[in-house]
Amino acid sequence: MSAYRTGDPLDRRRFLTAAALRGATVIGTGALTTGALSAGALGTGVIGATALGAVDADAAFAAPIRPLDPAVAESAFAEGRITAINQDVLEVAGSYGDHSRVRVTNATSVWKARATTATDIETGDGLYARGLPLPDGTLAADAVWVNIVNLHATIRGIEKTRLHLAHGQHEIVGNLMAQTTSASYGDASPTADLSRLTIGQSAQVLGAWRPSDGSVDLVRVAVAPGAGRRR
Amino acid sequence: MSALVCALAPLVLAGVLGPAGAGKLFGRGTAWQAPRTALARLLRDGGRAALVLRALGAVELLLAAALLAPPATPLPGAAAALLGAGFLGYLGYARAVAPGSSCGCTARQDAPLTWRAFARAAAVLAGGVVAALAQQPWWTAAARRPAAALCLVLAAAAVLTALSADPDRRWRMPLRRLRLRIAGHPLAATGNRLAAAGHPLGATGTPAAVPVAATVELLERSRAWQSASRVVRSALLDHWDDGGWRILQFAGVHGGGTAARPVLVLFAVDAAASLDTVREPAVRVSVIDADSGAPVMATA
Repeated sequence: MSAYRTGDPLDRRRFLTAAALRGATVIGTGALTTGALSAGALGTGVIGATALGAVDADAAFAAPIRPLDPAVAESAFAEGRITAINQDVLEVAGSYGDHSRVRVTNATSVWKARATTATDIETGDGLYARGLPLPDGTLAADAVWVNIVNLHATIRGIEKTRLHLAHGQHEIVGNLMAQTTSASYGDASPTADLSRLTIGQSAQVLGAWRPSDGSVDLVRVAVAPGAGRRR
Repeated sequence: MSALVCALAPLVLAGVLGPAGAGKLFGRGTAWQAPRTALARLLRDGGRAALVLRALGAVELLLAAALLAPPATPLPGAAAALLGAGFLGYLGYARAVAPGSSCGCTARQDAPLTWRAFARAAAVLAGGVVAALAQQPWWTAAARRPAAALCLVLAAAAVLTALSADPDRRWRMPLRRLRLRIAGHPLAATGNRLAAAGHPLGATGTPAAVPVAATVELLERSRAWQSASRVVRSALLDHWDDGGWRILQFAGVHGGGTAARPVLVLFAVDAAASLDTVREPAVRVSVIDADSGAPVMATA
């Protein structure tokens, strides 16, 4: 187990890869699970549920659901702007004047436009967190989504590195990120192919907001079925 | 040349004031738009603001008609200049008290106050001053030097279009569409031709062909995910590709009560598979102790 204990991430990954490939193989698609939620008219499909609820980025917008496992206590939820970071505790000022303290552990998943680590969290970021309330008043986070935004927009312009989006009266710049930004056309699964986006399309945009300049790092751009057909 | 500019100014000004006035006077939107303007704030009543907007529209229409008539007196030009000055003052007030409100200037639905509104008002003021100096009717001047007159009117129209309240919808988007049509799609490189055509082989070849989001979607609809979902607590912690496999790492808790211990849940999925290409995904699942790395249980 020495490889597992070393701090070198490459060694660790190699060890974990071997462990993963030794695992049991399970074939087939599961039946629909609870905790599924659809993201508006452009549904992003069925979402699996863990003991605490759905786990992909859309889950940040889901209401806390009753855990499937009776042994698990009710999950709690926190949201707001981070006002201070004290070691592994984030001080969060909620949108409605409430205040919460979120504890990040090494088992906490951190989403900030991609799966990342707690070192990427900065003061001033917005967050949603899901986890278990501890006796000391903190929320032990299982998952934290930082600066996540999910909005309905119209594509107003397409460039090599960014999209221009209109959301109501607001003009938003959406930054395209190599390796990360994906598009889904109708019901098809997400793809790295963005060449079928067109100006004037309505899109459901999932991304990470940048507090510094107000732009959004685009993670997924979902457009309606039938869109992007070349005529 | 300056005589030509002076002579043509009434025509251009009438072209600005006429449509704006007609829109305010006869437009259906005036009534529901008025309460949102800064004028309603000034008059403390939306209904009154709508009346004032309609009256203003009538004044603008009359001015436009007077400007198109032969220049007997400099009065219409002077009146237009006064109107422009009044607009500027009103915009300054609106900017101070209600920066988010609409100005109601061009009778178009809620265009927020921008520098464009100020520029438009300044243009009306300048145009009024120049029109007051006109010595001859615009049709005479235009007949004398038709080419120059046409160029001048076109230039003025271009400037005024650029200053219109919503340039985006009117000309920026069509221009951008045209540019995409001519220069090609700037993101064409992100889609190889096979993938774009929905070809099953489109996903192979480049490792970036299947984004992680698609792999996660595939995983979350698999039976493997269901068998392990009782244990998984976190969202995706980490992922990497290794020898055609994509490894997805989650954190979880195994066992309940006092026997509960932290575990890592690892899934191995074919890196080239997505819901579009695979009906029955084969996923390898293993759960290992987060502290020691020893396997915890076999899920089958």
